[in-house]
Amino acid sequence: MSVFAVNYLCRQTLRDHAFREAMRTNPRAAVAGLPLSEQERDALIAGEVGELYAMGVNSFLLGYLVRFELLGLTLDSYREKLLAASRRNKTKS
Amino acid sequence: MANFVGAFGVPHTPIFAQLVDREGPESETGKLFAVMRRELVSAGPNVIIIFDTDHLNTFFLDNLPMLAVGVAATFRGPNDEPPALPRRVVPSHPALADHIRRCGILDGFDLALVQEFEVDHSIMIPLHFLTPAMDIPVIPIFLNGHVEPLPPAQRALAFGRSVRAAIDSFEGGQRVAVIGSGSFSLEVYGPRIAPGMNFGVPDPEWAKKVHAYLRDGDIAALVAETSAERLASAGNVAGELLNWIAMIGVAGNRPATWICLQERFGHAYGIWPEVAS
Repeated sequence: MSVFAVNYLCRQTLRDHAFREAMRTNPRAAVAGLPLSEQERDALIAGEVGELYAMGVNSFLLGYLVRFELLGLTLDSYREKLLAASRRNKTKS
Repeated sequence: MANFVGAFGVPHTPIFAQLVDREGPESETGKLFAVMRRELVSAGPNVIIIFDTDHLNTFFLDNLPMLAVGVAATFRGPNDEPPALPRRVVPSHPALADHIRRCGILDGFDLALVQEFEVDHSIMIPLHFLTPAMDIPVIPIFLNGHVEPLPPAQRALAFGRSVRAAIDSFEGGQRVAVIGSGSFSLEVYGPRIAPGMNFGVPDPEWAKKVHAYLRDGDIAALVAETSAERLASAGNVAGELLNWIAMIGVAGNRPATWICLQERFGHAYGIWPEVAS
């Protein structure tokens, strides 16, 4: 389980401006060396923040991805994805 | 002994510096902070203690205290790039901070020690408005209000009482004001944000209820209702209410002399001046 690594990556987009820029220009290369599962890596590159949220990534930290306009996210698409994930989760439980 | 001179509850919305720059001192938020500043200045503190929830910027998920005291001559912030909020050096008061930590531990609160640190907007927004010259020493006390499980409300209140006892037993004659920083109902970047916004107020009724309890000084009811479930349903950062509850632990159970709910943000501004004994 490497949800911690995803949380850490999210905060790195705040702390490390070079990493932020790398996530903007070539996210696949930016996350290549990081200790992520295949599922996490794919979800990140695709901007599937709902999936990451469902995996347990902290929503406040996930917010940095849209705050810095990474992975093609907008506030609207970000909200829709989290809302859908949250609804799926409720249906399951 | 040091003297408690008043408690001041405020929000810390990261865009507020920019908002008041843009909309001016006569804007709603500008005026509310002006009231708070006027009352703080009138209380005349020469040390400020702030109960705060760090937003994973001073600490992180690899090393996350439930309660921690900053014991340092100075600290810096903000370290999370809120708009229009310049980075500053803030003086602190390590002797009183260390005394609070020692007293707290002897009272059964396992306080983490943090001596080399930066803080985020949740401390720097209140200071930006309340003590803009950064000329009053500030002691940060960190209380986890975001990452579940949170400390129970009763424990936050008891911790505040321990901090009050530490203020009262510190020999030095300081005039100590206490700030509680945070919201009552707020979701930031979680699924319950409002369309087109980075935040939402999932439970405005809870915010109104908290406001009423604080206004009326019904702290027993507030603490009884502030369950983990209630905080979770009020938003992913609604646990910041615990900072207010710890602040009330310092001030004592009594009504605010002034409190104003900013309903659309799910937060309030409140004042508990010291009463002459």
